[in-house]
Amino acid sequence: MKKIIIRMITIILLLGCVYSTSPGQIEAFSSQDIARGAFGDDVIELQSRLQYIGYYTGTIDGTFGYGTYWALRNFQDKYGLPVDGIAGLKTRQKLIEVSQYDEKYVKNNMNKGNKFTYYGSKPLASQVEKGTGKKENVQLPAKYSEQDLKLIANAVYGEARGEPYEGQVAVAAVILNRIEHPDFPDTVGGVIFQPLAFTAVADGQIWLTPNERAKEAVLDAINGWDPSENAIYYFNPITATSEWIWSRPQIKKIGLHIFCR
Amino acid sequence: MKKLIFVLVYSVAALSIFSYGKSVENEQLSIALSGQYASKMTDASAKLEELDTAVKKTLLFNEADGSSKAREDIWRLSSDIKNSVSSLPMDPSFSTSWMNYLGRLGNFAKDANHATDNAEYHRVMKLASKNLRSMADEWGVATADMVGGGLSIDGWKKRLDADESSHDWAGMGTTVKQYTESDFPLTASESDSMKKKDLKEMKDPKVTRDEAVVKFKKLFPYLSNETIGVEESKPGSPYPFYHIRFAEEESIGYIDITEKGGHVLSFLAERPFGKESLPFEDLKKKAESFLKDAGYKDLVYEEARENNTAWHMVYVRVEPKYGAKVFSDTIHLKIAKDNGGIVGLDASEYIRKEKTEQQPITQKDWKKFFHSGVTIVKEEYAYVENEHLEQRLTHYFTVTLDENGKIGTYAVVVDTETSEVIKTEKLQ
Repeated sequence: MKKIIIRMITIILLLGCVYSTSPGQIEAFSSQDIARGAFGDDVIELQSRLQYIGYYTGTIDGTFGYGTYWALRNFQDKYGLPVDGIAGLKTRQKLIEVSQYDEKYVKNNMNKGNKFTYYGSKPLASQVEKGTGKKENVQLPAKYSEQDLKLIANAVYGEARGEPYEGQVAVAAVILNRIEHPDFPDTVGGVIFQPLAFTAVADGQIWLTPNERAKEAVLDAINGWDPSENAIYYFNPITATSEWIWSRPQIKKIGLHIFCR
Repeated sequence: MKKLIFVLVYSVAALSIFSYGKSVENEQLSIALSGQYASKMTDASAKLEELDTAVKKTLLFNEADGSSKAREDIWRLSSDIKNSVSSLPMDPSFSTSWMNYLGRLGNFAKDANHATDNAEYHRVMKLASKNLRSMADEWGVATADMVGGGLSIDGWKKRLDADESSHDWAGMGTTVKQYTESDFPLTASESDSMKKKDLKEMKDPKVTRDEAVVKFKKLFPYLSNETIGVEESKPGSPYPFYHIRFAEEESIGYIDITEKGGHVLSFLAERPFGKESLPFEDLKKKAESFLKDAGYKDLVYEEARENNTAWHMVYVRVEPKYGAKVFSDTIHLKIAKDNGGIVGLDASEYIRKEKTEQQPITQKDWKKFFHSGVTIVKEEYAYVENEHLEQRLTHYFTVTLDENGKIGTYAVVVDTETSEVIKTEKLQ
């Protein structure tokens, strides 16, 4: 029994040594390269560390856009690293060497939605202001805002939460198709709140909190998916009261909704 | 017994007070809303008069310079009325045609310049003026009760229903549609653009339902073994397609494949995702290998966005003559972070390949063109659609500008022939 325990301890210690000396592993970031378009904890740490040493002056939000990209390139240039705007192993190691990261401070402020910075040259307490609440952490195409995402997700959840995923993406796509169409208002809010346009607005269900599935469906639509095949209307044939809607040319049926032009 | 009566009386009294309070509140809300709507209607009526006057003012001049202020007014007023109409509860057939007409009127006035045929401008605007006058009168009659306070919002909504309507909204909608067709018919570029969107020019041979399923199985062998349902698109679809639904283990989704040529329009699969995440470079390689195997060989990587469970990647077609990216011909891919599986493909824009034409490239001193604080970080050729829906060859610049200590990044798109700036977009 003793032998087994000793062997197990030896194996664990050996594994520990291998793990700690592995060249791909550094103590803070995950093992992945971080490039433009990325989002999440690695990006939060990257932005924080760059800001700590004064290279990044933007908001720490976990989304790797151009602001982070130029800050990273400047850092790489200054420290004689290959200037490619990608946080590879050497760049991450150098960042860890020359900066600090107070994860608790950063994440706590992000969760509270505070307005904050993380410069190493100033006391942290002086860098925090009360904000407007936690923000969504998403990567969106340039022409859409986080508010657009929220509003469309509310509409999709209110209108189609019982529908298949494809049907939810299609409802989001109809909203986006209307924005581009000359017969409709050209903003997300204008389209969604156009009187008599959506049942969920009329009965208040638009104000229900959308789930992750509805948000994911909106993200897919915003990123170019349109299962409705260019529809600008849809209706539920069981509940529809308007005769006019039946006159529209129909494209396809998804779940309970018929999508039309 | 006495207690029971007391409780009952008390409950009835409380309920009565509550329901009275609610009905008063509802009435107040209804009055406030009626006021808002009446105000929007009055506003639209007043602006319709102003719009009519502005249209007439532009008819005073032979040269575009003389009418520039009035043309600006037409664009602004038509946009304002469009906003008012969009925020009113209206008959959908009327409001959509009315907004379309106003948009086209505004754009026509905005686009008129030195190059515009003056006789043609006068012909169109004379017609528009006549039609606007007639619409203003119709609108005045249709909204008189609501504006005059003689109609509640409920009454207004009931009137919109065909059965109780005292006003022929659908007829008004048809009239405006006719005005649009006579005053602002589709331009050749608009017509081409619509044809492309509706895949009218696709001449590929028809594929059968079984061939479409085979195509799906070839592209996504790991998703196409179990339940598959195939439907044809409905007759109103601008282009016929097969709608294939599948359910394989935990994945469910659909793929739409055109009947002509068997091209993939779009595909999406939904499944539970693991928490692990493959490196981006590995995912990109998988994406590119998939595209190559699927026969999409004239694409280059453009951009990618990471979200919780997947990366959305964008690839654009490259036109060989200039090596220019064609931004209207894109393919979108959605790739699962946990195993690199393709969970989404949208190729509808790629199917509608744009016709790109050769175009002169005039050289320019870009250092003089941009302000001294601007740095050009990338320059490439790209075909981009201008506001007349024409594909133009452009210099596609990525530039930076120091904005009070922060670096702003912009895409600036300049026509290679005319040097017109087609688009300036702030990049995130």
